[in-house]
Amino acid sequence: MIDPAWVSGLSAILFIIGLIGVFTRKNAIIVLMCIELMLNAANMQFAAAAVHHGDATGWVYALFAIAIAASEVAIGLAIFLAVYGKHETITLDDINVLSN
Amino acid sequence: MSGSSSSEVVHSSMAEYAPLIILLPMLAMPVILFLGKVFNTNPTWKNTLKEGGIIALVAMGAALFISLAIIKDYLGSFSNNGDIFSLTWLNTAIWEGGASTTPISFGFGIYIDHITVMLLFVAAFLCFLINIFAIGYMNTDEINDNRNHRFYAEFVLFCAAMLGMVLSDSFLGLFIFWEIMGLCSYLLIGFYYERPSAASAAKKAFMTTRIGDVFLMIGLIMLWDLFGSLNYSVVFDPANIALVNPGSLQMALGMMFIGAIGKSAQFPLHVWLPDAMEGPTPVSALIHAATMVNAGLYLVARMFPFFGAESMSGELIDLAFIIASIGGITAVMAAAIAFVQDDLKKVLAYSTMSQLGYIFTGLGVALWLANTLDWHHDPAAHTIVVVAFGAALFHLFNHAMAKGMLFMASGSVIHEVHHAHHHLHHDDHGDDDEFDAQSMNNMGGLASKMPITATAMLVGSASIMGLPLIGGFWSKEGIIANAWRVALEDPRFLFPAACVLLGAGMTGFYMTRMWVKTFAGKPNNEVAAHVGPTNSWIKTPLFILTLVTLSSVLLAGMGFTHWAPDSEYSFLSDKGLVDGIIYELGHAFANHDAFFFVLTYVAIALSAILGPFMAMSLFGGKLEEGEDCKPWFKPVIALNNWVYNKYNWDNSGIATSGLAVALQNRLYIDKYYDLAMVKIVAGFSNKAAEVDTKIIDGAVKQIEDKSQKISTIVRSLTTGSARDYILWVAIGTLLIFFFIWGVA
Repeated sequence: MIDPAWVSGLSAILFIIGLIGVFTRKNAIIVLMCIELMLNAANMQFAAAAVHHGDATGWVYALFAIAIAASEVAIGLAIFLAVYGKHETITLDDINVLSN
Repeated sequence: MSGSSSSEVVHSSMAEYAPLIILLPMLAMPVILFLGKVFNTNPTWKNTLKEGGIIALVAMGAALFISLAIIKDYLGSFSNNGDIFSLTWLNTAIWEGGASTTPISFGFGIYIDHITVMLLFVAAFLCFLINIFAIGYMNTDEINDNRNHRFYAEFVLFCAAMLGMVLSDSFLGLFIFWEIMGLCSYLLIGFYYERPSAASAAKKAFMTTRIGDVFLMIGLIMLWDLFGSLNYSVVFDPANIALVNPGSLQMALGMMFIGAIGKSAQFPLHVWLPDAMEGPTPVSALIHAATMVNAGLYLVARMFPFFGAESMSGELIDLAFIIASIGGITAVMAAAIAFVQDDLKKVLAYSTMSQLGYIFTGLGVALWLANTLDWHHDPAAHTIVVVAFGAALFHLFNHAMAKGMLFMASGSVIHEVHHAHHHLHHDDHGDDDEFDAQSMNNMGGLASKMPITATAMLVGSASIMGLPLIGGFWSKEGIIANAWRVALEDPRFLFPAACVLLGAGMTGFYMTRMWVKTFAGKPNNEVAAHVGPTNSWIKTPLFILTLVTLSSVLLAGMGFTHWAPDSEYSFLSDKGLVDGIIYELGHAFANHDAFFFVLTYVAIALSAILGPFMAMSLFGGKLEEGEDCKPWFKPVIALNNWVYNKYNWDNSGIATSGLAVALQNRLYIDKYYDLAMVKIVAGFSNKAAEVDTKIIDGAVKQIEDKSQKISTIVRSLTTGSARDYILWVAIGTLLIFFFIWGVA
C-alpha cells in the first residue's frame, strides 16, 4: 500500500498548482477550475489522514466536500453568467467596480 | 394632664382602607385627564362635571371620609406600633464581599401615629375644602376655559402625594411623595405657562426646592448607612438608635433639615415662595399655605424619636438650636418684608414664611427639651416636652386652617375685583395688562360688599396674629413661652426666643395693615366700588374654616396642645371639656410663674395692641358715606377710624428710607442670589464650555482627523480585482497557519 505521506505530498503539490492558477489566470472559468483543484487537494488530504489514523471520519468529510464543491460550481457558473450579462466579459482584470 | 394612658395596640378596622386614601385621588388623575381630553367642550362636562372638578371632589371626599374614620379610631389611644399595612415592591440584597449578603426589601407601607393623624386631618380636610373653592374660582373665569381638567388632574395628584407622604411608613416613601409634590407644585405654579413670569416662577420654585432635596437625599443616604434601613419601625427603635454614633446622626438629620428648609421656604431657601404666587389662588391656598409647605415641618416633627431617645440625651442640642434659629430668623425677616408688600397674595406668602418660622422655632425648642430633659422617667419633664411639641403641631394646625382660609378669602377678593374690572372695562381689553387685580391699591372699603369674605379674613388674620381666644393664640403663646423656657436654660436660645416675641408684634402690624387696606376705608378706585358678592362655591369653605378657627378654644380645651410621639400619651385630655377650657384659660392668663405671666402679657400687648394700633394709625379710614356693613365689623371699623384720626402721622419719611426700600426689594436676597449665579454659575459654565470645546471636542476631532487619514491609506488596498482579494485571503490564512504553528 502507498504510504499516506506520498498522498499528502501529492495533495500539497496539487494545492499549490491550484493556488498559482488562481493568481495568474485571467479567465474566471479557469480560476474556478483551479479552485476545484484546491478543493480536491484538500479531499486527498482528508483521505490520506483517514488512512493514516484508520478512522472513517476523513472519508466522510471528503464526501461532504465533494457535495459542496458541486454546488459551489453551480453557483459560481451562475454568477459568471450574471456577470457576463452585465459586463459582457468574464476576464477578471476588467471587472473591478469595487476599486477605491 | 397626660391623663388616661393606654399603650395597647389600636386595631382600627378602617385602617385597612388607608391605602385607598392615596389611591383614589391618584386614580382620579388619569381619569380626569382622559375625560377632559375627550369631552373638552361638551356642555355636560363643562357645567355638570365642572371640567373634572366634581370627579376630583368625589375622590377627595372619599379620601376625607376614610381619613376621618381612621382618625376617629385613633383618637384617645395611641400606639407607636404604627405599621399596619405594607406591600413589598422590590427584594434585593447588598453584597458585602465574599459570599455574605444582607437581604433588603423596599416597599410601601402605611404607618399611623399621632403626627400622622394630625397631618392627615389637616391635609385631607383642606384638600377637600380647597377643591370646593377651586370649582368656584377656576370654573368661573374665562381664561381657564377648556383647560381646567389639567388643573384638577394636577390638583388630585398633588393631594395624593401629600396624603401619601403623611401615611408613608418609611423615609424612602416620604421622599418619593415629597418629590411628586415638588413636581405638582412646579406644574401648578406654571399653570398659566403662557405668562413668562409664571413660567419663571415655576422654574424658580422647582430649582430652589431641588437644592434642599439634594441635601435631603444625602441625609437619607447617611441615615441608611447608619441604620441599614429607612423604615420608621427600624430607625425609631430606641435599641437601634442606641447603637448609632450621635455625631453622624446629627449630621444626617442636619442634611435632612436642609431639605425641610427648601420645602418649607425658610431662610435662606425662601426665595421661591413669594414668586410662586403666580399660580392660581387655589394653588396658593393648597400648596403654599396649607399643605406642601408643611411637609418640611412634618419631616422635622418626624425626627422626634431621635431627639427623644435616651441614648442621644444632650447630643443633638446643636441641631435643635439651628432649627430654632432658622425659624426665628425667617419669622422676623419675612414679617418685615410683609410690611411693605402691596400685593395681597404676597403679604400672605410672607406671612406664611413667617408663621412656618414660628413652627420651626417651636419644633426646635421641643426637640431641645426632648433631648435634654429626662422625660422618660420624670412626669413633670414629660408634660413639658409633650406640651412644647404639641404647641408646635397645634400651631401647624391653626396656621394651616387660618392661612388656607386667608388665601381662599384673598382669592375671593381678587376674583371679584377682576370681574368688576372686566365688567367696567368691557369694551377695551387693552388696559387689561396694566390693571393688577392682586394689588391692595386697587381695593379698599370691601367690607360692605363681601361680608363673608371680610369675616373670614378678619378671623383668619386674628388667628395668625394670635388675638386672645382665637385660633393661633393658643399655639403661638405655647411656642413663645417654651422658647423662653429654653432660653433660660441655654443662653443661645435667647436669639430665637427674642425673634419670635418680636415677630408677634410684627405679625399684628402686617395682618392688620392687610385687612384695613383691603376692607376698610374708602374704595381706592372705581373698580373697587363695583365689586359684588362672591359665589357659594367660594363662600362654603370660607364659612366652614371660620367656624374651625373660632372653635380652636374648644380644641385647646380638649388637649389639642398636647401631642407627642409617646405610647404613654393620649390626645384627648382626661378632663371634661369645660374643665379643660378652664384649665387652659387659667394657664394662659394667670400663670403661677411670674416670668411666664409677664411674658404672656407682653406677647399679647405686642401682637394684639401695639402692632394693630400702628397699622391702623397708618392705613385706617372709615367706609364711604351710605355704605353699610355687618354689625360685627362696626366696632372694628370704628376703632380703626378713631385710631387713624387721632394718631395718624406722616410716614413718608420712613416709607422712603433705605430700610423700607430694602424691604421692598426683599432685602436684596434675590438680587444677591442672581449675582452669585451670574458670577459663579455663569463663570463655571464658561470654563466648562472652554474645556468642552478645547479638550473633549478637540480629542474627538483629532480622532476623526487621524482615522480619516488612516482610512485613505487603507482604502488604496481595495483594488476591485478579485485576485488581489484572494491573495490577501491566502496571505492571511498562511499567517494564521504560521501563528498556530508557532504557538504549538
